[in-house]
Amino acid sequence: MPAPADWRKADRRIGVLFIVPFAIAALVFMVYPVAEAVRLAFYHYNPLDPQGARFAGLANFRTLAADPLFWHSFGQAAVWTFSSIVLQTAIGVALALLLHLPLAGISVFRGLLLFPYIVPTVVIALILQWMLNPEIGVVNWSLRGAGLVDDNVYWLATPGLAMLSTIALNVWKYTPFVTICVLARLQTIPLELYDAAKVDGAGVLRRFVDITLPQLAEVLAVVVIFRTIWTFNKFEEIYLLTRGGPGTSTFNLAIYSFEQSVANLKVGVGAATGVVMMAILFLGSLVYMRLFRFDEAPQ
Amino acid sequence: MTTLGAVRQAIAYLVLLLVTFLICFPLIWALSTSLKSPRDVMATPPRLLPPQVTLENYRNLITGKQQYYRADQSYVPTTAAPQHFTSWFANSVVVSLGSTAISILISTLAAYSVTRFRYWGRRIIPYFSLLGYMVPSIILVFPLFLVMAELRLTNSLWSLTFGYVSITLPFCMWLLWAFFRGIPIELEEAAMIDGASRLRVFVDIVLPSAAPGIIAAAIFSLIVSWNDFLFARVFINSIENLPLTVGVMHFFEGTHVDWGLMMASAVLMTVPMACLFMLMQRHLVAGFGAGAVKG
Amino acid sequence: MTIRLEHIWKSFGPVAALKDVDLELPERAFVTLVGPSGCGKTTLLRILAGLESATHGAIWHGATRVSDLAPGKRDIAMVFQSYALYPHMNVRGNIAYGLRVRGTPREEIAERVLEVARVLEIEHLLGRKPKALSGGQRQRVALGRAIVRKPWLFLMDEPLSNLDAKLRVTMRGELKRLHMRLETTTVYVTHDQLEAMTMSDRIAVMDQGVVQQYATPAEVYNRPANAFVAGFIGSPPMNFVGTASVSGGEVALDCGPDGRIPIAAAPPVNGFSGAALLGVRPQDLEVLPARRAGAVPAVATLIQLVGSEKLVELAFGAAGKLTAQVRADAPIEAGHRVWVGFDPARLHLFEPASGRNLALG
Repeated sequence: MPAPADWRKADRRIGVLFIVPFAIAALVFMVYPVAEAVRLAFYHYNPLDPQGARFAGLANFRTLAADPLFWHSFGQAAVWTFSSIVLQTAIGVALALLLHLPLAGISVFRGLLLFPYIVPTVVIALILQWMLNPEIGVVNWSLRGAGLVDDNVYWLATPGLAMLSTIALNVWKYTPFVTICVLARLQTIPLELYDAAKVDGAGVLRRFVDITLPQLAEVLAVVVIFRTIWTFNKFEEIYLLTRGGPGTSTFNLAIYSFEQSVANLKVGVGAATGVVMMAILFLGSLVYMRLFRFDEAPQ
Repeated sequence: MTTLGAVRQAIAYLVLLLVTFLICFPLIWALSTSLKSPRDVMATPPRLLPPQVTLENYRNLITGKQQYYRADQSYVPTTAAPQHFTSWFANSVVVSLGSTAISILISTLAAYSVTRFRYWGRRIIPYFSLLGYMVPSIILVFPLFLVMAELRLTNSLWSLTFGYVSITLPFCMWLLWAFFRGIPIELEEAAMIDGASRLRVFVDIVLPSAAPGIIAAAIFSLIVSWNDFLFARVFINSIENLPLTVGVMHFFEGTHVDWGLMMASAVLMTVPMACLFMLMQRHLVAGFGAGAVKG
Repeated sequence: MTIRLEHIWKSFGPVAALKDVDLELPERAFVTLVGPSGCGKTTLLRILAGLESATHGAIWHGATRVSDLAPGKRDIAMVFQSYALYPHMNVRGNIAYGLRVRGTPREEIAERVLEVARVLEIEHLLGRKPKALSGGQRQRVALGRAIVRKPWLFLMDEPLSNLDAKLRVTMRGELKRLHMRLETTTVYVTHDQLEAMTMSDRIAVMDQGVVQQYATPAEVYNRPANAFVAGFIGSPPMNFVGTASVSGGEVALDCGPDGRIPIAAAPPVNGFSGAALLGVRPQDLEVLPARRAGAVPAVATLIQLVGSEKLVELAFGAAGKLTAQVRADAPIEAGHRVWVGFDPARLHLFEPASGRNLALG
C-alpha cells in the first residue's frame, strides 16, 4: 500500500499553518479573557492593588444577592429590554410592510434604512443630549411651541423620562435590523398566497393576519430572541446618555458591572455580575435553540 | 402585489418621507447646529436652517483653538480645548484600519483552512467563533485590560488595535466561513490541475472569488472599531491617545458646553461611516457573479 | 504510452467506492467510463486526476508511477461537469492560466490561446467574463483551457450533461472530431450510454464500484458480459424474461399451466441447461401479422409511435411481456394477434443468480 504522497503532506501542513494565527488570537483574545472574567468573579481584586488579590469563593455573588442596587439594575434591565423589543418589533414590522409596497423609488428609502446602525452610539447620544437640552433643546422648544407642555421637561434628569430617552435611542438605532430581516422574509412570500386569499374573499386585514403574520412568525421569533439577548446586556446606549442616572434609575447589569469595577474598584464584583450576564445569555441561547429546533421538527 | 391607487400611493409616500425625516432628523439637526455661530446656536427659537452658515466650528476643530464663550462682558474659556481633535481622528483611523487588517488577515486564512482541509475541530471552530461574537464586550474589557497591562500596552494604540481584534475577529470568521463554503471547490481543483500550487491557488483563485465576503467583513470590522467607546475608555488614559469616541466626551468638561463644536465633531465622526455605508450599498447590490460555474 | 490503472481500490470510510479496478488505456484511445450514478466512475476519474488517492493500487503513465504525483505534475487536463471557469478572469485569462502558471513566455501564450480559440470558434468571446457566456460557450472555454496545454491525457467529467438535447448532439460530434484531430488519450465519464457508444474506442461499464465489462462498443452491445451490461447498453433497453429455460438445445418460455413454448434453437451455451434469464433487444424481435412456422403467438397490447419506429408491447400470456421495435408503417395495432420470431443468433442467455452471460465461457 502506498504511503500518503509527499505533496499531500506538505499540502496539509499549509492548512494547519493557516489556522494557527486564528488559534493563537482566539486563545489570547477570546478564550483567555472569558476564562479570566469567570475566574475574577471568585476573587477580591482591586485594580490599584493587583498584588493584594485574594480568593473570595462565592463572596462576590453573595454581595450581589444582598445588594438592592443589583436587583434594581436587573429589574430595570428587564423593563428596558422589554420596552425596547416591543417597540422595535412593532415599528420594525410596520416599516417593513411600508417598504414592501411597490412604489417607484422605494429602493432609495430601503437604502437609507440601515443608516442608524452605522452611526456611532456616541454621536447619537451627543445629539440626543443636545436635542433634549431642557432650555434650548429643539425637542422642548417644539413641545412648548405646540402647547403640549408649559415648563422645561428635564428629559435626562427625571428618572422615568431618562429611561424613556434611552429606550428612544435604542429603538432609533436598532429597529432597522428588525425591518431588514422582516423585509427580506416578506420578499420571499409567494404572491399566489395573497391572490388565492383574495379569490376566497379575504380583506386586507384578514390577509395580513392569516397569511403575512404566520409567514413572519419564524423570522420574528429569531429576531426577537437575538435582540433580547443583545439588548439586555447593552452598555453604551445607556451610559453615554445618562451614565446610569439620574442617580441609578437607568442602571442595567452592564452599567452596574462597570461601576463596581471602575468606581468602587471591586473588579471581582464586576466580574461576578458579568458571570450572571453570561448565564442569562446562555439561557437565552438555549431558549433560542429549543425554539428553533421545535420549529423545524414538524417539517 | 398589484399597484395601489393614487391616493394610497400619496399617503404611502407621505408616511415614508415622514419616517425618513424622523430617522435622519438627529443628524440633520446636528449638521444644522454645527453650521451655526455660537450666537445662533443659543438663539431661541431654534431654527432648522442656520440664519448664517459658518464653518467656524469645523475650523476650530481642525485648528484646535481654544474657544471662548462670551458671558456678558467677559470671555470664559469653554470646553476642553479642541486641540486634540485631529489626534483623536487620526487615532481612530489608525486603530480601525489596523484592527481590521489584522482581523481580516487572520480570519481569511482561518476560514480557508477550515473549509478546505480536514482535521479535528474544523467543524466546531466556526460555531465557537459565533459564540465568541455573542459575548458582550463589558465582560471582556477588564480581563483584556489586565492582559494589556501584562503586555505593557495600556495607554497605547496597540492595546486598542488588539482589543478590537477580539471583538471583530469572531464575526469576521463566521462571515468568511459561510462565504468560503459557497465557493465551489472545482475552481481550485481546476487550478491545481492547471499546475498551480496550493498557495498560488489561494492567491489567484480563492481570494478574488471571496472578495465580496472579505469586503463585507472589512466594512463590518471598520464600523465596529470606529464606533467603540468602552475599550477606549478603559484602556487609554492620556488625552492625546484617545480615539474620537472617548475624546469628544471631553467636550463636556469646562464651564460651558459648546454645542456647535460638539455637533461639528459629531458630524465629522459620522462622515467616514457614511462613506463606508454608501460603499456597502453598492456592494450589496453588485452581488457575486457565479456565472463561471453552471447555473 | 499506455496508461494503466493497476488494481485500484477506494474506500470512503466503511463504504467501498471502487473494487479492484484494473484497466489499461491504449495510447490515443477514447475511453468512456459509463454507469448509473454512484457506480464509481467519477471517483475513478478523480483518482486518475490526482484529486483523490486510491486506498490501494497505482496509476502508471507508461513506465512512470504517477499515483504520488500532485495533479499539476501529471500533465493532464480536466473538463469539469460544472466547467469550473475562473469567474474573475475573462475567457483569455481562463484559457491562459495553465500556461501562465508554468511560466510560458507571454508571446507564446497569446499565440496558443488564439489558436485554440480559433479551433473552438470562440475568438469573439476572448474578452468576456464567464457570467456573460451561454452554457455551450462556457463549455467550449472549458475545453479550450484543457487543450491549450497539450497534455498527455484528457479527463472529462460529464461535460455535456448541462447542455440541452440538441446542443448535446452537436457537441458529441465536435468532441469526436477534436479527439481525432488531437489524438490525445481521453477518459470520458458519462451516465448516458448513447454518448458512450457513439464516441468511444473502448467502454468500461461500471456498477457499484466494479468494472462489469471493458471492451469496444460493438463487443459491449453484441456480447454483453452480464445482464447488467446488457440492460444498460442499448436503447430502447433490452427485454428480460425470467420465465425462460434451456434444455435439449432449445430455449423455451414457461407459460405456467400451458406448459413450455419453445421459441428458438438455443445459442451456444457451453452445455448449460435449466432455468435462465433470457435477454432480447426490441430491435431483434420479428413481429408478423400472420402465422409462420416457428413463430410464437402473442397479443399486441400497447403501441407507441416514435417517429420512424413503433414500440409494440407484446403479451405472451403467463410467460410475460416483451417490447418490440418495428417500422412505423408495420400493419400492427393494439389488440391484434401477432406472431413473434426469435432469432437464435440475437438471443442472450444469462445465469439467473449471477447475471453472467452463459455464452461467454
